[in-house]
Amino acid sequence: MNIRIPAAILAASAILAFGGAAAAAEPAASASTVTGISSLMNPAISVNALFLGETSADDDGHDANRIGLQEAEMQFTSVVDPFWTADLVVAYHQEIGHHHDGEEADAQDEAAFATDIEVARIRARGLPAGLGLVLGKDYVPFGKHVPLHTHQFAFVRAPVAVRSFLGDHGLTEVGARAEATVPLPWYSEFAAYAVNGDAEIFDAHDRDLAWGARWTQTWDVAPTATLELGGSLLHGPGAHHEDEPAGGLGVYGVDLTYKWISGARSHGPAVVWTSELILPDPEHAEGDPLGWYSHLQARVHRNWWAGFGAGQAADVSGHVDVGGEEVETLATWNEYRANLTFAPSEYSALRAEISQLDQDGGDADDLRFSLQWNFTIGSHPAHLY
Amino acid sequence: MKIPNRIAAVALALAACLVPLVSPGPAAAKDGPLRVAVTLSDLGCAARAVGGSDVEVTVLCPGGMDPHYLPAKPSLSRKLGQADALLFNGLELEIGWLPPLLEKARNPRVRPGAPGMIDCSAALDAVLDVPSGAVDRGLGDIHPQGNPHYTVDPRRMIAVVELVGRRFGELDPPHAAAYRDRAEAYAAQLRERLPVWRERTAALRARHVLLNHQHWNYLCDWLGLDVIGEIEHRPGIAASPRHVQDMVEKSRALGDVVVVAASWDHLDVVREVAGRAGASLAVLPGHSGAEPGTDDYLAFLDVVTRRLAEAAAAPGKE
Repeated sequence: MNIRIPAAILAASAILAFGGAAAAAEPAASASTVTGISSLMNPAISVNALFLGETSADDDGHDANRIGLQEAEMQFTSVVDPFWTADLVVAYHQEIGHHHDGEEADAQDEAAFATDIEVARIRARGLPAGLGLVLGKDYVPFGKHVPLHTHQFAFVRAPVAVRSFLGDHGLTEVGARAEATVPLPWYSEFAAYAVNGDAEIFDAHDRDLAWGARWTQTWDVAPTATLELGGSLLHGPGAHHEDEPAGGLGVYGVDLTYKWISGARSHGPAVVWTSELILPDPEHAEGDPLGWYSHLQARVHRNWWAGFGAGQAADVSGHVDVGGEEVETLATWNEYRANLTFAPSEYSALRAEISQLDQDGGDADDLRFSLQWNFTIGSHPAHLY
Repeated sequence: MKIPNRIAAVALALAACLVPLVSPGPAAAKDGPLRVAVTLSDLGCAARAVGGSDVEVTVLCPGGMDPHYLPAKPSLSRKLGQADALLFNGLELEIGWLPPLLEKARNPRVRPGAPGMIDCSAALDAVLDVPSGAVDRGLGDIHPQGNPHYTVDPRRMIAVVELVGRRFGELDPPHAAAYRDRAEAYAAQLRERLPVWRERTAALRARHVLLNHQHWNYLCDWLGLDVIGEIEHRPGIAASPRHVQDMVEKSRALGDVVVVAASWDHLDVVREVAGRAGASLAVLPGHSGAEPGTDDYLAFLDVVTRRLAEAAAAPGKE
């Protein structure tokens, strides 16, 4: 759901928010009794901005060589009352489109921007028996990549498999999610959710709830290493493709993550290897659409990370007539990426990346060199493991 | 057969709610020892000494790991999910990993504001290095509430031990007297060792100390050492070549410098500075349990003070 808010309003709210925080220090402790103005209960506020410069070897008439803002994200977090904690994330970002003819088109080409309320949720505090409850708009917990904010991505963009089957800019939906810690000898978490089904991957004409679940297991395979296995499913109304008969969208996924972080030294060596397989429901397509990616990140020196990634998406690319019946055909997209990231602190990073996206049997290849930098200011909550 | 989405959605949400209700779950209290999770191994020593057989202690951050950067492994959330109480250092030392662990632990007994949350920094009379003036991240990864590394000062740990004794008694009234008695006994042991440790490091008071990180400021404050600066310059940020050179030149000019670092520090830079400055080097276990023979807090301080004394007696050598 894109909520169109002029950028000026976003900027004004930022100014007001920070202005309010700055004014907080001035009044005496008791002044709010008579002024009614106090910032003591203000939320923690942070802003992350991502900038991206890119040049493409296959601009093909598009304006692919540019430099600009990729995303600015403002986050507010606060305890609401004894029962809830709230998070609000407003993002101003490039609006990325996806063409089923296999050609990726994003705002690099069109310089289109949108303002989204990505997250507006409340999280229950202190429910008994290891239960969690999240209400509002939030990232859908499908796989490892979908729940990530853009500045957490291992590469400049989401993997082609995620872009193809789960949308180009996250997958955030309004609804409810229940979470539970499953009592097993290792850490096991089960989440189930029902959401409104507003995202572009769902049928816009046949509204119904979407629902899904995720179950993750995490084992400590060594004192400083973990292995996480996750399974996800997502069902929703309509279908991924506008012109197919009414039906359901089903996407299934399995992911595996190995993480090792040296315990012997601060900012020491570390390795994160994540692989994910995404299987869309094949009922409407000729062949079996699927996507996968595998990412390897390694901290090679205190502030330096190297990343390597490969991925594939076999997605619907067109239609052919088979015995008088029109069926969809698949095209396979291959993606290869490598990057080097310099992160002098937890609050800024500079990344250089080279990526190649090509189509089997097609003539659309895209070789890109990207330079991305980001910074975070304010009180930004720590990321989950 | 197609299941309507709305029915499936509701059924799945209910299933998620039922999982914990049909199981014992991490939040269910039980008879037996008080289950105490502690963030730092030093606090774990205090908890064990005070709790004795009435508590079961789980340390989240091993003594050999830099507590700023503990990976927030889900297994740690699982441990927190089973805890009746949490002892933490506070002063934002654990801010990078404790909040996400608590979020995933989903344990009402150890959520902010719960009686089981024991902030050990509440025991401090004075906090060192509280920044004055404008505070921003241009100063590095500073802690706005002050230096959080107080557990390496046994005087302050005495206050922590006394606090732990009181709080355990509040959480587990039937054993309150035992907690109080054990806290007093352990505090007495620490008080008894204070002059021994201080005397052992007497030679160091005639020299200057260059720290790698402000981890040892409380220790130096207790021992009365002259700290001339930090190699790290800004906390959490790699030292620039210019700052390294400045520290080398300052150390050479002063002479009689001992460089002090923790075992988890980037020792290549530390050794370079010590070598170029002609200073002796003391690489210390950062917390109890960081090395064999330091599992107990008293043994940890024995090793720390002995190693400092050796460095003071051997200028220019590690």
